[in-house]
Amino acid sequence: MSITIEANCPECDAPVQPARRPLAGEILRCTQCSVELEVTSTEPFRLELAPEVEEDWGE
Amino acid sequence: MTNRAIDLETDVRVLVDLVSTRSESGNEAKAAHVFAHHASQLGLQTEVDVMNNAIAHRGPPAHEVHTHIFLLGHIDTVPGDIPVRIEDGMLFGRGSVDAKGPLAAMLIAASRADLPESVRVTVAGAAGEETAGSAGARFLAQHHRPDACIIGEPSGWDGVTLGYKGRLLVTASATRDLSHTAGPDDSAADMVAQWWRAVTDEVAASNQDHTRVFDALQSTIRHMSTESDGLTETATIEVGFRLPRWISPDQLIEQLTARTPVGVALSFNGAETAHATSRNDPVVRHLSGAIRAAGATPRPKLKTGTADLNVVAPIWRCPIAAYGPGDSALDHTPNEHLSIDEYRHSISVLTAAIESLARELVAKSPCATASAIAI
Repeated sequence: MSITIEANCPECDAPVQPARRPLAGEILRCTQCSVELEVTSTEPFRLELAPEVEEDWGE
Repeated sequence: MTNRAIDLETDVRVLVDLVSTRSESGNEAKAAHVFAHHASQLGLQTEVDVMNNAIAHRGPPAHEVHTHIFLLGHIDTVPGDIPVRIEDGMLFGRGSVDAKGPLAAMLIAASRADLPESVRVTVAGAAGEETAGSAGARFLAQHHRPDACIIGEPSGWDGVTLGYKGRLLVTASATRDLSHTAGPDDSAADMVAQWWRAVTDEVAASNQDHTRVFDALQSTIRHMSTESDGLTETATIEVGFRLPRWISPDQLIEQLTARTPVGVALSFNGAETAHATSRNDPVVRHLSGAIRAAGATPRPKLKTGTADLNVVAPIWRCPIAAYGPGDSALDHTPNEHLSIDEYRHSISVLTAAIESLARELVAKSPCATASAIAI
């Protein structure tokens, strides 16, 4: 029995349905608005806007 | 009161002892043995190799290993004697941030992690990271082939460093017979100054389409001098380039060489290629997940400096990212200090990340697949 994994994009509310079972922490892209989304939970499947990449110096 | 007189818990004791043992690049042996002593006390196998890399292992012997996670920090520091002390929960001392804090956190996390028996974890404090060439990490890169690597550098306990820019150091020099300064000839200093002006014009033009510093080619003068023996004069300028991913050291050398005028000679060293890991890299995912589990939103970062990640990533070609407690704005400063609370948060994050990463790697390893088929 296949399980439908779906959540809505927190930016544009479009349905986001990964092609395969997502991994915790994985970054997906909304096909509607192209925003980057982070999988914050797999069971239940939850998405949040992925944090922006910062720039820093050092080392 | 000395720090030794205070009854510190093991995790802080390891940190304080490492920071208290000076280890400027080239003089790492004493600190390497302090690291090995503590690693042994924590139940790990230890060695200090010929490069003075301090190494600790847990798990099965290398020849029986199916999954190997490498935690690579560095044990050397830049010069600077900062009195070691704990004030208001902050440990002051050279190397507390860059990078004995991250190294100590990795050692404690490796000793605490609950891991499958088939997983080997190595924690290494490389020698010579603060010098161009990173001899310690280069040696380790040739002698290990891990399945995943965390580089121990300060990202902040809630940060994950995805990548570092590359680097190329260039020395340009011009020598000519002395002549009267009222005459028509350019001086040696004029010659290298003109070379540098042309280079910076080209650098500026190449950066027009790049808004992020990580994507820009940066150039800085590190040193300049002139000298004369009364018959000839020599002008020398040492410059450093921070390289984005779109240009390799070899490509920059080729471009600089092609545009260098007659009379100016170039030499190169410290070449490192920029590297940035995918946000979906398993090491990034597991570190981010552990940060979320600890109650924070992970902060992915790209750094404009260079680290041992640049050295080992192209050789190991495995999942990799950099992580560690501390504010890298304090790197190399006279005010270098690390929050003990942050240090402890980072140990929890590293422990959780290593555990979940190990489980994923074991599940994906060919040996795990083979045994599943056999059953």
